[in-house]
Amino acid sequence: MRQELHNELTVAWQGLGATGEWWTGSERTAIALEARAARACALCRARKAALLPRMLDGQHASLTDLPPPALEAVHRIVSDPGRLSEAWFRDVVESGLSEEAYVELLSVVAIATAVDTFDRGRGSAPRPLPGARSGTPTRRRPRGAKPGLGWMPMLAPEDVGAEDPPLYASAGRIGGNVHRALSLVPRAMMQFWDLFETMYLPQAAMRDFAREYRAVEHAQIEMLAARVAVLNQCVY
Amino acid sequence: MLLAFADAVIEGAPELDRARDAVVDCLGEAAMVDAAAVIAGFDAITRVADGSGIPLEPEKAAATAGWRSHLGIDDFWARKV
Repeated sequence: MRQELHNELTVAWQGLGATGEWWTGSERTAIALEARAARACALCRARKAALLPRMLDGQHASLTDLPPPALEAVHRIVSDPGRLSEAWFRDVVESGLSEEAYVELLSVVAIATAVDTFDRGRGSAPRPLPGARSGTPTRRRPRGAKPGLGWMPMLAPEDVGAEDPPLYASAGRIGGNVHRALSLVPRAMMQFWDLFETMYLPQAAMRDFAREYRAVEHAQIEMLAARVAVLNQCVY
Repeated sequence: MLLAFADAVIEGAPELDRARDAVVDCLGEAAMVDAAAVIAGFDAITRVADGSGIPLEPEKAAATAGWRSHLGIDDFWARKV
């Protein structure tokens, strides 16, 4: 395995146990554990098969004491991401999960999904959950975040302030919509993208067709990406 | 063979071991690992995109309008409930 991939997988996984901006380390590891539990949840399976997911009520097969709106968010993001909607998101927020907490939860679920899927793919057992570190979330929201692009406010590159982490500039990210998706919680955005770019390609390498950066070629990479997007019913 | 590997990884299918071996036999161990990394990365980023409600950028929408219409991809939005 590439050393940088090995290193980044370790950093990202251990980072799940670190104190976040809106969740404690123990809550973040609970979110990661719940992301695993969702794959075996009977309610999630039934909703995935239903014409409309909201037709079915019930309780998720939970392994944690996360609050109900967080459980619902984790399980649906894992089990049926292609049919998430703004109405569903508004329900989750009105049930008591703040927009910022939701965004950090989304980042944790994405990182846990990436690492678990990778381990499954290469034939390795799932990693033990990282130890949770103590600390208090800062609950800091970027001042420049504005509504209008997605379901929640986002921080555009031109609105990044001196007090914000360099979430775009640190890796030459151009600020495409998918970059901005997690930007309401800049550190959560950076944690996900640092891992994702190591698994896929960094910005500058994406269209550098004169050189291959991985043991699979650009065309093979894009074919795999498109296939996964289809399987997950991702329209973006 | 790469597509079969992607399908088996995402679906956690019983064929995964065989699909993985086929990639190793054909392209080598390093390629299998990097393919698994791409599959895993996109298994995650699709959730980020779909879980945040971001739209397609206008320039990408314009550049892909023809083939999205031809393939019926735009109709997928109507199925979001």
